[in-house]
Amino acid sequence: MINNTTFAYIPGEHEAEKASNSYLMSLIALIAGLPLPIINLIATLIFYLSNRKGTYFVRWHCTQALLSQLSVLFINSYAFWWTVSIIFSSEEMTSRYLAYLLSAIIFNIFEFIATIYTAIKTRKGIHVEWWFYGSLTNLICKAK
Amino acid sequence: MKKVFLQGLTIIVLFFLTWFLLSQIDWYTIFKIKKVTDKTEEKLGDLFWNILQKTEKENKNTFVINVIDSIVNKICLANKIDREIIKIHIINKDEINAFALPNGHLLVYSGLILSSENQEELSGVICHEIAHIELNHIMKKLIKEVGLTALISMTAGNNGTEIIKQTVKLLSSSAFDRSLEKAADIKAIDYLVKSKINPQPFANFLYALAEKENESDKYFAWISSHPESKERGKYITEYSKTITIKYEPILSLNTWDKLKEKLLE
Repeated sequence: MINNTTFAYIPGEHEAEKASNSYLMSLIALIAGLPLPIINLIATLIFYLSNRKGTYFVRWHCTQALLSQLSVLFINSYAFWWTVSIIFSSEEMTSRYLAYLLSAIIFNIFEFIATIYTAIKTRKGIHVEWWFYGSLTNLICKAK
Repeated sequence: MKKVFLQGLTIIVLFFLTWFLLSQIDWYTIFKIKKVTDKTEEKLGDLFWNILQKTEKENKNTFVINVIDSIVNKICLANKIDREIIKIHIINKDEINAFALPNGHLLVYSGLILSSENQEELSGVICHEIAHIELNHIMKKLIKEVGLTALISMTAGNNGTEIIKQTVKLLSSSAFDRSLEKAADIKAIDYLVKSKINPQPFANFLYALAEKENESDKYFAWISSHPESKERGKYITEYSKTITIKYEPILSLNTWDKLKEKLLE
């Protein structure tokens, strides 16, 4: 699911730090804004926008960090509104809902571990490409 | 591009597959959710009824109890409802009211019986309240308005009588959500039809209540807890028009009149 590959060039110390920070940013925001899944996306988006004129390595990882938020954003948003409707409307808590919550937790844990792993590796200047998101980032983010 | 699309699709399929597989497990039993809520409901029902018993006067007349029982029995039998669940209590009070407590306690005020023009009207109100019980509306309302933690705390005896009284008041004199009321109405008509009781008098009863909605009469408690009676009467009439069935009275006219006489004693 996660591949350590070689990048187009060897990134410098400063670049590796910035690229790693993009993943850390999403993690911190994820913890801070857990009930509202949109917060981590906004935080990563702000970090992405402030680094969009950075070097290729930084831009590439900021893009991957941003895109990787998308799947959990949809999963968590649905879980959030489903929970709200159970609390505030006549919707009942069912085994299907609990199964959804567990699936969401499993996917979030995977995402969490993958993000930490990528942040550590990127900090060392190692290029890490995620399954699907890495390929998608390659399509979006091009070297200038 | 095709590779990216396929990878994305795999992630989506993987998520839905995880969800589907986890849905096959009965989490309610594993987490003992049902057991906890059932036990809480049982304790709450008894707790609320004990409080009400101290303030309200229950009618213990055997004839009155038997007559109301025969209505409830017929409804339960025709609709395959476990009769043991419904615990009916007749309260001697002028208020036109009927409401359900947790754990199947159903309170019918003598004022409601006396103001009903016929047995079908009364049966309609009883069916409506049974529908609230069967559809689990009471616990839903309590959890929403009071919160499960507070309810569990009540059953553990950590709350004062005043808070419990306020919660009982919430059930006896405030409305359910509009969607819940409509669901209970529709279910009530189904119960009535299956019991071969004409639902039209129930609609008429609601129309009659609607006319009195503006009167700030303290006796019309069921109106304040069941708003938009006119609209409800209308859709019950519409719904009952589609049903062609031969209706049969549960009680003889003589028994119905005698019931009222006994309540006036």
